[in-house]
Amino acid sequence: MNDIVEIGIWQLAAAYLLLAFPLAIMLWYRIPMIGDTVVGLVRMTLQLIFVGLYLQVIFKLNILWLSAAWLLVMITVADVSIVRSCSLRLSRIALPLFAALLAGTAIPLLLFVGLILQRSNLLDAQYAIPIGGMILGNCLRADIVGVRTFYEGIRGSEKAFLQSLAHGALLHEAIRPHVAKACRAALAPTIATMTTIGLVSLPGMMTGVILGGASPAIAIKYQIAIMISIFSGTAITLALGLWLTAKTSFTPYGPLDRTIFRNTAKT
Amino acid sequence: MDEANEVEITDATVRFAGRTVLDGFSMSLRPGAKALLTGPSGSGKSTVLRCLLGFVTPEAGSVRIQGQAMTAETVWSLRRHIAYVGQEPDLGSGTASEILERPFGYRANAGLKGNLQRVPALFRQFGLDLDLLEKEMGDLSGGEKQRVALIGALLLDRPIFLLDEVTSALDPASRGTVVDYFRARDDITALFVAHDSDVFSFVDQVISMRQNDPPRGAA
Repeated sequence: MNDIVEIGIWQLAAAYLLLAFPLAIMLWYRIPMIGDTVVGLVRMTLQLIFVGLYLQVIFKLNILWLSAAWLLVMITVADVSIVRSCSLRLSRIALPLFAALLAGTAIPLLLFVGLILQRSNLLDAQYAIPIGGMILGNCLRADIVGVRTFYEGIRGSEKAFLQSLAHGALLHEAIRPHVAKACRAALAPTIATMTTIGLVSLPGMMTGVILGGASPAIAIKYQIAIMISIFSGTAITLALGLWLTAKTSFTPYGPLDRTIFRNTAKT
Repeated sequence: MDEANEVEITDATVRFAGRTVLDGFSMSLRPGAKALLTGPSGSGKSTVLRCLLGFVTPEAGSVRIQGQAMTAETVWSLRRHIAYVGQEPDLGSGTASEILERPFGYRANAGLKGNLQRVPALFRQFGLDLDLLEKEMGDLSGGEKQRVALIGALLLDRPIFLLDEVTSALDPASRGTVVDYFRARDDITALFVAHDSDVFSFVDQVISMRQNDPPRGAA
């Protein structure tokens, strides 16, 4: 296989020419998204330039604590993003959710690097950071869906929830159907992706490995391993996240403590 | 405090968002007593029931069930003595049969699963067709839902019943059946919340929230 083709700065600039199509559509139909699109493009470009430079340094140094620190930064950003997307209070949810994200990312990542790739350095920057990022990115998406479904579900059917407590349910018994519903909603997209992978689209990691010069035979092995790691990571993060956040989100008497929601005034 | 009381609230004060709903409210019920809690809308009737279930914690005063103080530790076992049927009950999604079976999946009721055999008799007693068991709860009328919720509560064999407007959606005949049922059950302590006090003329005690409420607490 050939090595990956380098993209020069002018060739990369040519990629921006493709923006003419979506921008023309927005102008023609007067869709008020041009401002958001420009902000998004600028942020994407700057963030990726920064990350690219930073990762080059991290890859070059390949120091264990630096890789770990970078992963912790990514987890912190994901944590804050999930809590904000779910309209929950950072002070109540962020810490237990951070622990869940850490476990849900670290367990499949360490198994991937140590057991599957057989690397002696479990936080080898070249593997740990991209694979960790892929697992975490999917945990982020799944947690936003799952955490929101869970808390909005209980808030929306509070009478039925309180009735289950009145019927004698302990807290873990009363929240069980809501945990199941949240897990279904959060894990369904990953299951759907696994079901259609390779038929509808070539997945990101496989594409990356092929572009990097490896054969499709190697690429599919990476893809299978990463899909299982992602599925495992999202399940761990969500189940652990709901369990840990539930400890601080319900009153000691059982009802949901509505002050966890950002749009609820503290009384 | 009287150890012989089945239900007791002493000097309870509850505030929501700065509004006083209960201010030094007290009440008690002897075992087997039937009481009617009455008062205008917003006077705190449902809040009293929520205090007894531990869904609302008074900032002052105490709640006791069968002589035991309600705390964050005891509330889980004390709820096992109480059956609650709410106004416009929402028991979740599923068929009536699934709804009636659900509470027996909880550890607190695991030993009572045999009570489900009483379902046909209770359906007949409260004028419900057995075919309703296979219908989705969402497809039942308000009156049917109330009676299914009531039957679900009766199956749990609890000694204390809190019934919030439990006959509000029932026709006169069904209302009479419910009232007659509780009048005949000397072993049950029942607290009814209702606007229509004539229906519950048989009760031993009428607790008027108008008297208990502070002037600014009553709506």
